[in-house]
Amino acid sequence: MDARPRFMPSGLTRHQRRVYGAVTIFFIVVFFALMWPVYALFSGIRPIVLGMPFSLVYLVVILAASFLVLLGVFTWEGRAEGGPDEGDGRAADGPGAQDGVGRR
Amino acid sequence: MPDWVIILGVTLGYLLASLLVGLASGGEASKTTEGYVAGDRSLGFVILYFIMGASIFSAFAFLGGPGWAYSRGAAAFYILAYGTVGLVPWYFFGPRIARLGRRRGYVTQAELFADRFQSAGLSGLLAVVSLVGFIPYLMLQMTGAGYVFSVVTGGRMPVWAGALLAYGVVLIYVFRSGVMGVGWTNTFQGIFMMALAWGLGLYLPHRLYGGVGPMFDAIAKAAPKMLQAPGLGADGHPWSWGAYSSAVAISVLGFGVWPHTFMKIYTARSERTLKRTIVWYPTFQMFLVPILFIGFSGVLAFPGVHPADKILPTVVTSIGLPPVVVGLFCAGALAASMSTGDALLHAAASVTIKDLWRPLFRPDLAGDRERRLIQGLVILIGALAYTLAIFAHMSLVALLLLSYGFIAQFFPLLCATFLWPRATRAGAVAGLLAGFVVTVIWNFVPVLQWQGIRAGIWGVAANVIVMVVVSLATPPMDETHVAAFVVS
Repeated sequence: MDARPRFMPSGLTRHQRRVYGAVTIFFIVVFFALMWPVYALFSGIRPIVLGMPFSLVYLVVILAASFLVLLGVFTWEGRAEGGPDEGDGRAADGPGAQDGVGRR
Repeated sequence: MPDWVIILGVTLGYLLASLLVGLASGGEASKTTEGYVAGDRSLGFVILYFIMGASIFSAFAFLGGPGWAYSRGAAAFYILAYGTVGLVPWYFFGPRIARLGRRRGYVTQAELFADRFQSAGLSGLLAVVSLVGFIPYLMLQMTGAGYVFSVVTGGRMPVWAGALLAYGVVLIYVFRSGVMGVGWTNTFQGIFMMALAWGLGLYLPHRLYGGVGPMFDAIAKAAPKMLQAPGLGADGHPWSWGAYSSAVAISVLGFGVWPHTFMKIYTARSERTLKRTIVWYPTFQMFLVPILFIGFSGVLAFPGVHPADKILPTVVTSIGLPPVVVGLFCAGALAASMSTGDALLHAAASVTIKDLWRPLFRPDLAGDRERRLIQGLVILIGALAYTLAIFAHMSLVALLLLSYGFIAQFFPLLCATFLWPRATRAGAVAGLLAGFVVTVIWNFVPVLQWQGIRAGIWGVAANVIVMVVVSLATPPMDETHVAAFVVS
């Protein structure tokens, strides 16, 4: 048996692989950006934005960016499938999806 | 009429409303185990969104969050940080888990892992660890509910009676309505909590300082270290980056694998519904921002409050708010406790029967009898946790920290289940055991706690190494069986 880990279904198109690859890298970067040493660079009080210390604003911005990226992927998947939002498992593409199942 | 009677009246009104909502939802699912535990896999976006949000935001977030901000400043930001990416793995693994659950009949987390690794022992092990995590968590929620009533009545109602009243209501609707009761009450409680958090979080800085900006300006001048990450430790000295970062990391790993939240994946009506819930979850997470404002509002205005977790009730009851508003706050704190407590209670009973009792002792158990056993256990576990919460004097925080370290050990198992076909039963079990042992040792031997890094992090490292080594040293599992799980 092949001992290599598998991250994406083999049936994805090149474009899909690129998108999911970029999203995965984005969230890995976000994970590390929440901790030392990256967060240490933005851990000060100033500049104060919207009345909040920068150490808090930084996290709020990351939270908002993560939300927007995932929302973008979700919308993109919906458009790619062109199907109803509340289908019965048809929107099954993406890393972790079973090969071919649910695709039109 | 004395203020405390009005406040108590509002709080009891909230309890009654929760009970009615919980009971009314009982007829929505079938009278089967799948109906009771997974809501017949029929939950839509709104209920799932509030189940996820409200069961994650517990009495700890509502009372502990402001307490941390008040006493430890920016250290409290870690609670906001870990939720940012904690649920993201679900976006990728969730649909596959839901699909497997539908095909193979899973309603709990351990059923998935036990099936992938063909091990009833693994199922039992996961169930025991889950229960070790659930009970102290549940005890904390019960004690929190008891405190609310005690504060509301000015000490006239003891903590034990308050906890009994609130969790009597929880027991009734969880017993009768199962996950549907949890879902609808969480929707009601979640809306309540969010409205209250945003209302109070913006109102208190305005009332005490003239706004959020002036509040942080004043704190920056008087106590700048409070606002500089990573904030302060429990001793009042600056917290180490090692402790802060590892708290974020272990919480991210553990966030999505707590069994009581994980099993909600199976309740989703469709994969698209599940993904939509995960996408919108950060909007619930954002409600921690006003929660933190509440704690910061007390830093200069109410110094010396001890324990710090009482800062929210202290502020609310000290600034001359109308009793109805104070009552609403108390109901919000109760909502936070109950919306987590009900999910824990429901999950603890389900896990005990589905993952421990049935696979190890009664493989033929099924149908109506299984559902009734789970219902009976809801009462039994509720009574056990209540008794321990009221009468046992143990360090819940220590137990909770340990259980977080334990639960995070499920994350490598999740990755191995779906991403690594070569992972074997022996590797999975050995990795988990190594993770647990290392977590316990690192937790209790101070000399090993280098840079304040959480014990669970070392446990996860040991878990991964042992799982890989043992898996490679043992024969691979049946390829056809593994193919049903692994991405291919």
